[in-house]
Amino acid sequence: MSFFNNLFNKRERSAQVAKERLLTVLVHDRVKLTPEKLEELKAELSAVVARYVPEAEPAEIEVTLLRGESADMLKADIPLRRSRHDE
Amino acid sequence: MARVITITSGKGGVGKTTTTANLGTALAMRGARVAVIDADIGLRNLDVVMGLENRIVYDLVDVIEGRARLRQALIKDKRLPELFLLPAAQTRDKEAVTPEDMIALTNQMRSDFDYILVDSPAGIEGGFRNAIAGANEVLIVTTPEVSAVRDADRIVGLVEAAEKGPPRLIINRINSRLVNRGEMLSMEEVVEILAIEPVGVVPDDETIVISTNRGEVAVFDQNSQAGRAFINIARRVAGEDVPLMALTDQQGVLDRFFGLFGRKAR
Ligand SMILES: Nc1ncnc2c1ncn2[C@@H]1O[C@H](COP(=O)(O)OP(=O)(O)OP(=O)(O)O)[C@@H](O)[C@H]1O
Ligand SMILES: [Mg+2]
Repeated sequence: MSFFNNLFNKRERSAQVAKERLLTVLVHDRVKLTPEKLEELKAELSAVVARYVPEAEPAEIEVTLLRGESADMLKADIPLRRSRHDE
Repeated sequence: MARVITITSGKGGVGKTTTTANLGTALAMRGARVAVIDADIGLRNLDVVMGLENRIVYDLVDVIEGRARLRQALIKDKRLPELFLLPAAQTRDKEAVTPEDMIALTNQMRSDFDYILVDSPAGIEGGFRNAIAGANEVLIVTTPEVSAVRDADRIVGLVEAAEKGPPRLIINRINSRLVNRGEMLSMEEVVEILAIEPVGVVPDDETIVISTNRGEVAVFDQNSQAGRAFINIARRVAGEDVPLMALTDQQGVLDRFFGLFGRKAR
């Protein structure tokens, strides 16, 4: 089934796209966090994280507003560099 | 004592007037005494949807400003003796009415009816505030589109802030074939996103266009799927326990096949 799906339907179904766009737009309607403020938040967050976790990649921090099941979420993804002796 | 129920939406053109006319008629068909009030001052519409436009003498603003008594302004339906319309003023603007006026008006009407339905204008401004002022309950109409659902979410917040209790939802113009193909938000998805209780789903249906052309309402048309959906909404509003999935049961075999197909694919 998913084979056919991939073959004939490369694009995501529009209802799914609509749902994702709605969820994003609604959280942003409710939580009035402007894009500029979000950038500021990211900058300060990376400064703090860098002080405690030297492996953090400050340039790659992602902060997103998400619509959760029972509560909305402010989510931060902070990728860490893998050091040699881990492998 | 009447229940005063306002039918509203954020986005315009989603089906408030169609819903008010059909729900009001369906409730009156069940034997209830019903008044429908057109609160869209300056954009009078409910009269033409119900085919009563030729009988208007006085309107809501005439009653509020004391030029006519309520009895004189209420227009009796063509078919149902217990269904009445209070038309909007066409020549005035919405500043002619205040929320206090609407509260006084609905209070004055309460003892004569079982249901008073108020057809609200779209938007979040004065006209909307007037329309919900006298309400005990609010029904929000939306279509399954991003913009309409987004605006409905705004209205949910405003209705809750106005302490009208949790509003309930009507999803209008669902095209089940598109839903089954994954190209339209489903009832379940819209309900999940808005997180309010649904009272009904109405299909996108050409019989609405045809009956509206004639100034008749779809609930009188035995063959109208939308009409049947509005009758089910009336039953739920009246407190009957009618399962919400009644709509999908009427789908063709082909649709159901594609429905299974689409679900598996996800
Ligand atoms: N279920 C439906 N199927 C097909 N057409 C529909 C349906 N519901 C409404 N319509 C059509 O959509 C149009 C808008 O409907 P309606 O006037 O009821 O919306 P409204 O929310 O009252 O608009 P407004 O915000 O301008 O007051 C009308 O032409 C109506 O016939
Ligand atoms: Mg209308």
